[in-house]
Amino acid sequence: MFKSAKNALAGIFITLFLSSSALAAGQFDGVTLLVGTWGGLWKDNQVENIVSKFEAEGGKVEFVTGSPAANFAKIVAARGQAPFDVVEILAAQVKDYHELDVLHPLDLSLIPNTEFLAESRYNEWLVGSWETQEVICYHKDKFAEEGIPVPTTYRDLVHPKLAGRIQFPDINSGGGLTGLAGVTFAEGGDETNIEPGLNLVKEMNVLKFWARGGETMAQFESGDIIASVVHAGWCLRTKKLAGQNVTTVHPRINDELVGVASEGWWGVMKNSKNAEAAQWYINQFISSDYQLKMAIKTGLVPVNQSVFEPMADDPLVAEMIVLDPEKVGSQLRVDYSKVIIPDWTDQWNRAIAQ
Amino acid sequence: MWVRWWILLIPPLIVGFTLVAASQFVFLRASFFEDLGLGRVGDELVIGNYVQFLTDGFYLKILWVTVKTSALAALSTLILGFPVAYLIARMRSSWSMILLAGIVVSTFITIVIKVYGLIVIFSANGLFNQTMLAIGLFDKPFSVFGNETGVVIGLMHFTLGFGVLLLYSIIQTIPKSLESAAQIHGANRWRVYYRIIFPLSLPGVTAMLLMVFNMCMGAFTSAALLGGGRVFTLPVMIQRIVMMDIKYSMGATIAAVLLVSVIVINLLSIYLLRRLRAAHLVVV
Repeated sequence: MFKSAKNALAGIFITLFLSSSALAAGQFDGVTLLVGTWGGLWKDNQVENIVSKFEAEGGKVEFVTGSPAANFAKIVAARGQAPFDVVEILAAQVKDYHELDVLHPLDLSLIPNTEFLAESRYNEWLVGSWETQEVICYHKDKFAEEGIPVPTTYRDLVHPKLAGRIQFPDINSGGGLTGLAGVTFAEGGDETNIEPGLNLVKEMNVLKFWARGGETMAQFESGDIIASVVHAGWCLRTKKLAGQNVTTVHPRINDELVGVASEGWWGVMKNSKNAEAAQWYINQFISSDYQLKMAIKTGLVPVNQSVFEPMADDPLVAEMIVLDPEKVGSQLRVDYSKVIIPDWTDQWNRAIAQ
Repeated sequence: MWVRWWILLIPPLIVGFTLVAASQFVFLRASFFEDLGLGRVGDELVIGNYVQFLTDGFYLKILWVTVKTSALAALSTLILGFPVAYLIARMRSSWSMILLAGIVVSTFITIVIKVYGLIVIFSANGLFNQTMLAIGLFDKPFSVFGNETGVVIGLMHFTLGFGVLLLYSIIQTIPKSLESAAQIHGANRWRVYYRIIFPLSLPGVTAMLLMVFNMCMGAFTSAALLGGGRVFTLPVMIQRIVMMDIKYSMGATIAAVLLVSVIVINLLSIYLLRRLRAAHLVVV
C-alpha cells in the first residue's frame, strides 16, 4: 500500500515535470536563425523588437549584416548556399534572385500579417518589408539665408549657389538605382535610356556621391552640404538625431508623377533548414506594432497599411513623408524587369568618373 | 645529433601558400574565362577581358589615375617624412624614442578612423577651412571629397607613419661623422644634404618609395571614402565590379592588371637604380 502510494506520488511528480517542461518548450527550441540585413540602427530595432520574441520561443538569432548588394554577393560567392536563412532584398535585385533560383517558396498561412499588405506587396516568393520615398532633403535655414529657391524638381539642384554643396546617391548605394531612375524619368528618359539622367547628374556639380545614407547626417552637420538626394528617412533622422533644420521635397517627375518610391522585400533562402522560423520572422517584421515603430524611428514607409493613420500623429513624419494613398500611388516606381543593372552601372561609372 | 629545423618551416609554408597563392590563383584564373554575369563564367579559355581592359580608354584612365595618385602619395610621404625621420634619427635626447613610439602607435590606428579624422579636419566647418577662411587665404572651403588631391592626402596619411619608420632606419645607417667631416671642410648644411645624406640614402629611399607606392596602389579605403564616388582607382573599381555587378572575371582581370603593373613598375625602378649605380650617380 505504502509502496504503491509512493509510486503514485512519483508518477504525479514525473507527469507534472514533463507537462511543465512541455509548456515551457518554445516553438523554436534549438533553432538558430540567420538573418541577412543592414547593420546599425536597422539591426538594433530588430534586436529590440523581434529577436527578444524569438528568443522567448527558445530560438536564437544571428545577423549577417551588410547591404543587400553585399549579401547577394555572398550568395553568389557561395554558389547559392546562402550564409543566412532569410534576407532583405531590394526591388532591383528580385530579378537576379529568381534567375539564380535561390528562393524558398513561402507558405503565406505562416505569414498571416500579409492581410494588412497591399496585394502587390506579397507573393509566393517574397513579402514586402518597407518602402522608401526618395526626396530632396534640404537645409531650410541655409536656403533662406542665401536666397536659394526651394527646389521642386531635380533640375532645380543645378544652381550656382548649390555647386559643390549637394550630395547624390552613388550607383553602388542602396538609393543609387532609384536616384538615377528619378533624374532619368524627370529628364524624359526611361529604364532603357538613362543618358538624360546622367547628363543632369553631371550638371549638378555634386560634392560627393554617398555610399551610405548615414553620410547625409554627417555631411549636413559638418556644413559640407546643404541639400541631398536621399530617402525621406535619412532626412527625418538628420533632423531628429543631428538637429539640423532640414525638410523634404518630393520632386515633380512629370505631369502625372510626383516623388519616387522604392521597395524592399524579405525572402527565405532555398537552402534554409529553418524556413518556418524564417517566415515567423517575416511575419513579426510586418506586424503593425513593428512597422509603426520602424516608421517613426527610421522614417521608412511601412508596408502594413494599418499603421498609416497612427503614423500621421508624429508631426515630423507627417511633414516629411507622403501618407495619402492617392499621392503614394502617383509616385514613380521603376520597373526593374526592364533594367539591365550592369549596363546602368557601366554607363554611370563612365559618366561620373573624374 | 643533427636536427632538421627546417622541417618546422614546412607547416607555415603550406598554410601561407594555401591562403595567399592558391586563393589568388583561383581568383586570377577566372580572368581567363568569359564573364557571364552573376558570378558565372564561361567554359573556354579566352583573353577577351584583357583585350577589353587594354583597349578601353575608361579602364586605362583608371590605371593612370591609380599610378598617378600612388606616385604622388609616395613622393609626398617622402617630402614630409624625411625631415621628421632625420630629426628623430639625429636626436640625442630621450624624446627620440618617445616620438618614435608615437609614430609606431599611429600606424596601429585603423585606416577608417584616420580617414574620418581627415574628413572632420577638412570639412566646411572644420579646423582647416575655418582657419583658411578666417585669414583670407581661401574664399570658399576646400573639400577633400571627390577629387584626386583628397585621395592623395588620404593615401599619404595612410602611409606616412610607415614611411617615417623606414626612413628613420635608413638615416640611422649613415654615420653622423660624415656630416661633421663635411662641415669641418667648409660644406654648408644644404651641401651636406645634397652631397652626403641624399646620395647615401638614395637606395633606401628608393626602397621606401617603392614600398609606399605598392601600398598605395592596393589601398582601397582612402580612395573609396575620399574619392566620393567620383575618383576611381583600380581597387575601387574591383570592389564596384565584384560587389555591384557581380562580374568576377572582369574583377579578376583588373586585379591581375594591378598586380602586373605593380611588379613591372618595381622591376623598372630597380633597373633604373642599377643604371644609376653603374653610372656612379648613386653611392651604395
